[in-house]
Amino acid sequence: MIKKIEDLSYYELLEVSPTATAREIHKAYERIRRVYEPNSVALYSLFTPEESDAIYQRIEEAYHTLAYEDNRRQYDALLRERNELPEPPPLPSAPKYQSPQYQSPQSRLPFTHPDEDRYAISPAPEAQKQPAPIKPQQEAVSPVSQLIAEFTGSAIRVFREQKELSVRNIADMTKVGARYIEAIEEENFPKLPARAYIRGFLMLYAKALGCNPERMAGDYLKRYDAAINPPKK
Amino acid sequence: MIELQDALRKKEIWAIGGGKGGIGKSLITGNIGICLARLKKKVLLVDADLGGANLHTTLGLGVPDMTLSDFLNRRVENIQDVIIKTTIPNLSLISGAQDFLDAANPNFAQKTRLLRHLETLDADYILLDLGAGTSFNILDFFLFSDHGILVVLPEPTAIENAYRFIKSAFYRRFKKVVANQNIKDLIDAAMDQKNTMGIRTPFDLIERVKQMEREVGEILELEVLKFRPKLIVNQVRTKNDIQIGFSMKSACQKYFGINLEYLGYVEYDDCVWQSIRSKRPLTIEYPYSRPSRCIERIVHNLLRKEQLTLSMLY
Repeated sequence: MIKKIEDLSYYELLEVSPTATAREIHKAYERIRRVYEPNSVALYSLFTPEESDAIYQRIEEAYHTLAYEDNRRQYDALLRERNELPEPPPLPSAPKYQSPQYQSPQSRLPFTHPDEDRYAISPAPEAQKQPAPIKPQQEAVSPVSQLIAEFTGSAIRVFREQKELSVRNIADMTKVGARYIEAIEEENFPKLPARAYIRGFLMLYAKALGCNPERMAGDYLKRYDAAINPPKK
Repeated sequence: MIELQDALRKKEIWAIGGGKGGIGKSLITGNIGICLARLKKKVLLVDADLGGANLHTTLGLGVPDMTLSDFLNRRVENIQDVIIKTTIPNLSLISGAQDFLDAANPNFAQKTRLLRHLETLDADYILLDLGAGTSFNILDFFLFSDHGILVVLPEPTAIENAYRFIKSAFYRRFKKVVANQNIKDLIDAAMDQKNTMGIRTPFDLIERVKQMEREVGEILELEVLKFRPKLIVNQVRTKNDIQIGFSMKSACQKYFGINLEYLGYVEYDDCVWQSIRSKRPLTIEYPYSRPSRCIERIVHNLLRKEQLTLSMLY
């Protein structure tokens, strides 16, 4: 049975098996992302720019779902419900080799609703003990970061710590210097390079955390702009 | 035991095409032929690039007396009469050189006669060197073969033509298995990328056909699975160029639903140009060069029915 791109599961989209380890998924994502990036030579004349964009977005979505254990478990449950995953795969065991950034990636819902307390950390212990109930796909794959009202430096730090990732881990994942990661979190703007570079750093940082890069960079840069160019009285 | 030997000796026809001209189809065909002949396989090269034949030149041969056009034009009745022995043991050639002006467009009867005679020849491998473009004759030779091999360069122009070639071959194959004239017309209309029916991809076409006749749609789905062209990326200079083969494989799977097999790549090297200038085959003039090694690897993959995998690259 042949399938349209829209009908491919996230595993098929990233060309990995449903039992792939986190590392395999990450490698596949890096490769597939390069294939479908804008202006990819290999796609020349095959897809329209709009189609390429849509595929690219879906690849990002697939990665952010499969890269985190909880999201992946929910997604697998959804596939099983649709009979697209014939048998329950064994619980993701520790991969043979895990680079530091993949040690215990967690995607617990760390934030309560912004109206209650913007940066309070929810304990959510039940969510860890019990497998999450099957939810509609949209909800199952929705980025956790959507619950953050505004990406300030401290919010980013709390979010990172919730994922049990150190500054060093983020630096390894993004290839951005640890001192810049710290400066971003401390909102130590004088220590940061020019605005264009900060935007690039934030985009990479957001992808590493599984947040929406545009939103995180947009929020943060608004604060940056306000601090660097305060409104004239 | 005899049956097994017969099975092993079964002739295979490989067609090498690619849509664009000047991408190295003849060079690759000639040198794959030489590699096979060295492995003691009986090989016949057929220059099916009617209208632009130069396979004989890549093998270092002069203009032959008897060519394919003599056979097509019935100046000789038997195809054996136009086969030329080369200086390489086990390797022979049917040249298309100096063909008559109409040879580039043989009619249906001529084409059928050629394909029928090819099937009767005594050879382990028959390699068809196809011309540029996506004319029906080229597509038919490609579809007739046991293995259709596409050559591309890591350049947008060649890639664009390769996709066009795949699409044309694909839809022509569809048309051959369909009897209903309305569906044939639909396939013709779908070939136009700007068609007003909203058919963008083969998936859309199959869905539309299923709405008309479900069984025919299912037959087309089977055809998609059976169509497995192979890919060679020529003139690679960087690792990213090699990667293009894998990227095209992924794109073909997602766009056409077909499994494009990435046979291998040929590295760019001045020795290729030098061998052409000296009118000597690459794998004989520079047997230890990197492009020669690449071609040997491609032959190895073809014989063992294997393809490149990403793990080989990293």
